Amino acid sequence: MKMELVDPVDWGSIIEQIDIEFGAGVTKSLLGNRVPVTMSRGGAKIFYVIPTEWMSRLTEIAEILDIQLIGKELGSIDKGRFRLSLHILVELTELTESVIIVSRRGAEAFTYGRSIIRESVVELNTSLVRGQRVLVLNENRECIGIAALSVDAPLLNRLGRNRLVAKNLVDIGWFIRRLG
Amino acid sequence: MVKKELRQRAKELANEHEYLPYMIERYISLWGEEDTLKFIEACEQPIRSSIRVNTLKTSAGILLHRLQDKRITLEEVPWLADGYHVDFNGASPGALLEHMLGFYYVQGVPSMTAVSVLDPRPGETVLDLAAAPGGKTTHIAQMMQNTGMVVAIEQDRQRMASLQSNIIRCGATNTIVLRRDAKKLDNLPFEPDRILLDAPCSGEGLIPLDPTRKTSKTMADIRFCATREDEMLEAAVNVLVEGGTMVYSTCSIAPEENEYIVDDILKRHPEMEIVEIPTDFGSPGYSEPYGIKLNESLKLARRFLPHLHGTEGFFICKMMKKEGPTK
Repeated sequence: MKMELVDPVDWGSIIEQIDIEFGAGVTKSLLGNRVPVTMSRGGAKIFYVIPTEWMSRLTEIAEILDIQLIGKELGSIDKGRFRLSLHILVELTELTESVIIVSRRGAEAFTYGRSIIRESVVELNTSLVRGQRVLVLNENRECIGIAALSVDAPLLNRLGRNRLVAKNLVDIGWFIRRLG
Repeated sequence: MVKKELRQRAKELANEHEYLPYMIERYISLWGEEDTLKFIEACEQPIRSSIRVNTLKTSAGILLHRLQDKRITLEEVPWLADGYHVDFNGASPGALLEHMLGFYYVQGVPSMTAVSVLDPRPGETVLDLAAAPGGKTTHIAQMMQNTGMVVAIEQDRQRMASLQSNIIRCGATNTIVLRRDAKKLDNLPFEPDRILLDAPCSGEGLIPLDPTRKTSKTMADIRFCATREDEMLEAAVNVLVEGGTMVYSTCSIAPEENEYIVDDILKRHPEMEIVEIPTDFGSPGYSEPYGIKLNESLKLARRFLPHLHGTEGFFICKMMKKEGPTK
């Protein structure tokens, strides 16, 4: 795949989507002193961040070699929506308060692709709102995936124990499901 | 044993233990009948599971504590910094949360040893050829503490998915994955400090893990693999930086895929030399397999054999490219 520097319009949109959902300045912190680059696969654009010192060598490499993955995968844009990669979850966990903490049982179900129901929720920041993406953490505060909230956080306690709280978008069980 | 007798005995043993006769004939020539029988017996025993603690994501202390809480028992592999023999007590190694979190990689002891022998250092440029499914790539990234650059080359589209998935799961971020034929490296725009070539092989060392291997490959398959291994090693030698280090390994026990290949390279490339592996494991490589005299220094290579070391069969040879003119 052909590697390119990111389109400023795309990059602006990515910064906006990450920062709105995970906190102002989070994208800048994720980037650190690395450079964002992009590659197209099918209809999607995949974004990676790479050390700045790689740039001079990569200009040559990118012209003649078929690169499949490079550095750290940030995420991809498909049909205008940016999706975060599992590659950056650990780093993102340290930068954001947009998290939902789930019980051991809820965490296990989540890694099997299930969504989160009320009885699994251990902690949810009350400032979070319906539709926004949150990191899903287990009780050891280890990130096990990303979910989209189905309710405003302040309404959590009004829900029945089996009601949906957050829809599974991606989870670390994908590593196993993908490979069979 | 004269040739006719050897053939007859090999045929009998092959029939009895369900191997192809040419295999047993070669084993008797290499090791004698007694060790051949020990080898055959060892191949019927299961190989102990093993894992590598992924220190990019956790520490040995934390992981061991968590696995022991799940009634999983671990025992250090003496010569490996992060390698452990594991008894999962019926649990599925890939389904545990700690595996999904990338805290460990299920990997054979010989495979971990190959990377340990390569000894990649932080900040270097390292080439990993035929890299899928990524156990060695992620191990290299781990030893380099996610610095420098690991260039992983793989041609097979199907296997590419597992390579990328394991890189992401293990949190390796200093890696470039290229889809490319590892035999064609001539226009690579950099000279790697180290190269790992764990070559696609006939898998003759994997009989304890895959009993179908007793009958699935002919001598022609071994020759085919040997030709490909020779081409890959030649390509790798040509791009290695002067003073650089190379590890050639296979999961085959066939001298035709191991010592013969390295011997040919040493003849064609006087700038290459085999160097001693400072760690104590396995047994020496063969310098006179089947009575054919090869380079003496092949004794510095190491072999794992099921009947001697309780692992799958494996070959590891460490080489260096001398600096300055050698011809």
